[in-house]
Amino acid sequence: MSDPQLKSKVEELIAGHPVLLFMKGTPEAPRCGFSMRVVQVLDTMDVDYGAIDVLPALQPLREVTAEISDWQTFPQLYVNGKLVGGADIVDEMYESGELAAALGVEQPADTVQAPPPRQSPPGQSPPLQIE
Amino acid sequence: MIEAALPGADVDVIDETGAGDHLLATVTAPQFEGLSRIDQHRLVKSAVVDRFEDGQIHALSIRTSVPAR
Repeated sequence: MSDPQLKSKVEELIAGHPVLLFMKGTPEAPRCGFSMRVVQVLDTMDVDYGAIDVLPALQPLREVTAEISDWQTFPQLYVNGKLVGGADIVDEMYESGELAAALGVEQPADTVQAPPPRQSPPGQSPPLQIE
Repeated sequence: MIEAALPGADVDVIDETGAGDHLLATVTAPQFEGLSRIDQHRLVKSAVVDRFEDGQIHALSIRTSVPAR
């Protein structure tokens, strides 16, 4: 049985945010690779979203989401009050374009995440110049 | 286990770390027809819940699809 006060708080949050992510850590400092993946996808989609760090109350929140959505692992992405999924589902839906449709945004033109810009390793000597 | 819960399913499980406890399951099942992805994943998870509870699996990534017709 979950904490009824926490449960109603969570229900309020889900109802109050069209896009809400329960994650480990914060979007600026994710504390789990799966949470980070979802943050990256949402940032790529350029949508506004609320983010809740579950770590301070992990077990109570698991109990609450188990009751609300029959799902106990984090991250959890809610869109318009419904659980869409965790990292695997968000990835799949992102790649297929279903996530853009669910969020009501356009699919980013570049569906494959671009590799980070190549940077010269620090300390490398500048290119030799012909004198 | 997954095949027993979803008759007719095509299941492929990969051991991602070599230790046998972090698995990736790719499941194609006719039962997924008409279900949202989250419900498809729920079906797969419920098939392996015992292995989570006895600690044999720590992490399971799931990819689901409906068989092409």
